[in-house]
Amino acid sequence: MQSFDSFLQHQTRRAFFKNTGLAAGRIALASLIFPQLFRANASPIKVSRGHPGLPGLPHFAPKARRLIYLFMNGAPSQIDLWDYKPNLSELFNSDLPDSIRSGQRLTTMTSGQKRFPVAPSIYKFAPHGNCGTMVSELLPHTAQVVDDLAVVRSVYTEAINHDPASTYILTGNQIPGKPSIGSWLSYGLGSEAENLPAFVVMTPRWSAKRDAQALYQRLWGAGFLPSQHQGVALRANGDPVLYINNPPGVDPSVRRTMLDGLAKLNQGTFQRFGDPEIQTRIAQYEMAFKMQTSIPELTNISNEPQSVLDLYGPEVKQPGTFAASALLARRLIERGVRVVQLLHREWDHHGDLPRDLPLQCRDVDQACKGLILDLKQRGLLDETLVVWGGEFGRTVYCQGELRRDNYGRDHHPRCFTMWMAGAGIKGGTVYGETDDFSYNIVRDPVHIRDINATILNLMGIDHNRLTYGFQGLDQKLTGTEAPAYPVKGIMA
Amino acid sequence: MSNTPDTVLFFGHLHPLLVHLPIGLVVVVAFLELVARSTRFRNANANVGFILALTVPAAAAAAICGLLLSEAGGYQDKLLQWHKWSGLATALSCAVAGILYRLDLKKLYRMWLFPTMTLLVIAGHFGGSLTHGSDYFVRYAPGPLRRLLAGGSKPVVAPQTNRVEVAALPAFSGIVQPVLQQNCVSCHGPEKSKGGLRLDSLEAVVKGGKSGPVIVAGKSTESDLIKRIRLPLTDDDHMPPNGKPQPANDDLALLQWWIDSGAPTNANVGQLKPTPKIAQILAAKFGLPKPEEKSIDPKPLNEVLAQTANLMDDQNVAITPLSPKEPWLQCNASVAGTNFGDKELSKLAAIGPNLRWLDLGGTAITDAGLAQLSSMPNLTRLHLERTRISDGALSKIAPLRQLEYLNLYGTEITDAGLDELQAIPKLKQLYLWQTKVTPAAGKAFAEAHTDQDQLQRWQEEIQQLTAKIRDAHIAVDLGTMTPPVASTNATPVNAQCPVSGKPIDPTKTVFYEGKLIAFCCDDCKAEFQKDPKPYLAKLDSKPSEAVSK
Repeated sequence: MQSFDSFLQHQTRRAFFKNTGLAAGRIALASLIFPQLFRANASPIKVSRGHPGLPGLPHFAPKARRLIYLFMNGAPSQIDLWDYKPNLSELFNSDLPDSIRSGQRLTTMTSGQKRFPVAPSIYKFAPHGNCGTMVSELLPHTAQVVDDLAVVRSVYTEAINHDPASTYILTGNQIPGKPSIGSWLSYGLGSEAENLPAFVVMTPRWSAKRDAQALYQRLWGAGFLPSQHQGVALRANGDPVLYINNPPGVDPSVRRTMLDGLAKLNQGTFQRFGDPEIQTRIAQYEMAFKMQTSIPELTNISNEPQSVLDLYGPEVKQPGTFAASALLARRLIERGVRVVQLLHREWDHHGDLPRDLPLQCRDVDQACKGLILDLKQRGLLDETLVVWGGEFGRTVYCQGELRRDNYGRDHHPRCFTMWMAGAGIKGGTVYGETDDFSYNIVRDPVHIRDINATILNLMGIDHNRLTYGFQGLDQKLTGTEAPAYPVKGIMA
Repeated sequence: MSNTPDTVLFFGHLHPLLVHLPIGLVVVVAFLELVARSTRFRNANANVGFILALTVPAAAAAAICGLLLSEAGGYQDKLLQWHKWSGLATALSCAVAGILYRLDLKKLYRMWLFPTMTLLVIAGHFGGSLTHGSDYFVRYAPGPLRRLLAGGSKPVVAPQTNRVEVAALPAFSGIVQPVLQQNCVSCHGPEKSKGGLRLDSLEAVVKGGKSGPVIVAGKSTESDLIKRIRLPLTDDDHMPPNGKPQPANDDLALLQWWIDSGAPTNANVGQLKPTPKIAQILAAKFGLPKPEEKSIDPKPLNEVLAQTANLMDDQNVAITPLSPKEPWLQCNASVAGTNFGDKELSKLAAIGPNLRWLDLGGTAITDAGLAQLSSMPNLTRLHLERTRISDGALSKIAPLRQLEYLNLYGTEITDAGLDELQAIPKLKQLYLWQTKVTPAAGKAFAEAHTDQDQLQRWQEEIQQLTAKIRDAHIAVDLGTMTPPVASTNATPVNAQCPVSGKPIDPTKTVFYEGKLIAFCCDDCKAEFQKDPKPYLAKLDSKPSEAVSK
């Protein structure tokens, strides 16, 4: 109360005029320097087309116009897929040296184990493409396009469990509440598509065991950004978008009249309270109306030639599979969608890895190749960035019983493998190196912040300058705790 | 040249260095004496004796070096004699001036400076003519002055002409000779003919130099003329010598083209059928009218942004700046689909010069509508895929000099249309999937559009570097490492359950002896795991080798 009194005392007539005079000057100056700040409010709200990006963005000429993010939820085993360790087979069942683990924390799933026996991969690796990158036999199709991939073997994170780790890599923080990478891109660069959201998410089904780590909407949520930037998830089964069709007896013109009336009411409320979420609501109703026609057109793949369907593999015609989703991803970016994210679940192979990993790989392998080749022949790979990876890696030591033909692997945040392809990426590269146990990074470490900084950089954004004031902090995707750097070594 | 001792040449080559010193000193002496005649500067010549004492030995040294250099030969004889004697006279004249000064015959000495200066100018002019060519001084002088001073022939420069006349130009005198004139004739011509080689006439070029002919008709890569030019700059045999201006890549391409065409003596350009690449070089060189080069400059970003806002609202296209620091815009009209046609494109002309990326994929654009591209000369990326355009559109795309990316997939383009695109100099990516272009034509286009000479030069560089890398290595042999062999897919080896004979469920699998075996149900799997042996024979695939170890 005291401070409020003192505030009142300082509000003399003289102080008032001084402050308002200065403020008016500031506004006048700002209107001269940043006219676009004022234009937005002066014109009536436009809901007819995709929302614009921020003024001043992109910060520099982008390499990529679009992003397709293939997220392998559950953490694929880098040792069995990408990080070739030929000498491990001789160390079968030997104890992981303490000097390698050096007291690193483990999950409670294996921290009680008496031994940490080395479990070499039973899968064969071979060099592929002109670049000769070593790829596991589990990914025979992806291996065919390895000349287009930049494989980063030295990604690391701090999180050790699925939920915080997924939240970390996709929103930049282990604690929920931050915007996802797709939301940041939608916020910063805006939407080009008129009839589709800027950020679309798909959660294709999977083949291995039925239980898998849960996904949370926050992985594609908008956090503190206006909620129109959150990802719109298309369902894997049934209608891609629920309740999008008009109920029986309601024809489109009735729906249109109703929405126009609703928009008028909402507009009135907005003018009274000025809450930007009301605008979001108006925009979302409009978007839903447009998606009544755009979504059926999107998911109707009957005019895709057989040669294209063949690229993605036999499952492409079954809605909800990874292959079908990958094809939809291409169709989405063709229609101007900025970010498409596929979250494929159940890569969490604590046990029976040789049973489940091949099935998971078969789900995605040919579709990954198909997506890259299809984008390439259409000239879209030049403008589209494709990212593949999970939230962390898996341990070299076996979880549970180790057999010659069966083993499991626990969570491992200290190194894992991701790949990128397409716009601005130097194809055929292998970046980073891990030690003989695929346990610690020995060369070119890449934090997941750096991965996100790289993605933003290729989209024309300086990750340090795309910020949003929230809770007294200029928040950004790469966090404010530690510096992040785009990985120049994989950029063309 | 070869029988002149190296020491003679060494001191001889000091001549150009030394000769300018006495010139400067004599000029200073004359200037100071002249100025000292005015009472205001009457003391200006106080130290002239000291300068003269420097001048005389410097002039002597320059003259001696010059005599040594003349031994080396390779200069036009008549001009050389004139320079030699006028130079010696100048040096002698300097010495006389010095003696007169010493004898205190000041008046005579001052008079003597006049003929000394005259001799200096004469000797200097001949020297310059020897080095730079006799017409160097007056080459670009106004016509009457040039005729007065040199009676000179008009210099050979690339004539300004148009497309028809280029075809009619004589290949040697019209195309090749100007290149040689510019790059070679100063050392291989009438004044100097180093290595006995002259390149100032067709006969001389064919005749070659002391070490034989320099061109092999039809084979530019075996012709010394080309080989020497293409050696690395640091190579001793490289021509023109390191430090001299080097011929432009285009000029070299023209030389090679002439030799590869058989080095004809009297053919004209049209008869030799220039390749598209050569035609392009000729077009650039002979100043053809280039409508595509009108290069409308973009407007500042803040000016066009107001326009883009209106365009976006009217036409449902997305237009955004490429970066805030540059005036360039990207425009995505493909989001409007077939609602976007020729009429809408014509409205983009207002921001045409600012457009860098234009996406017209899947729009209703037609061949005729693409005439608007002439207002967008700065485009680098152009999407025209999935439109109804045909070969007729390509002549409108060809003038886009900046274009790097062109997407034409899913259109009616044919082989015939591709030729138009040869003229786009910066084109890097061309997408022709689902068009009528044949693979052979696509390949031919790619080859014709690539600078094969540059590729070959790089190949040679790679070979040289590879050799260097090889030489830098020590060979340490530890035996051969056999790389791991690629193997089968990780799908189950069987289609039927070995226990029940029913179709398999791919999620019910067991790894056994390195094979992934699938079962119909968990019960059969358990059965198998209890005792696999009886069921192994039923597997419908031969056992493969064990996977680990």
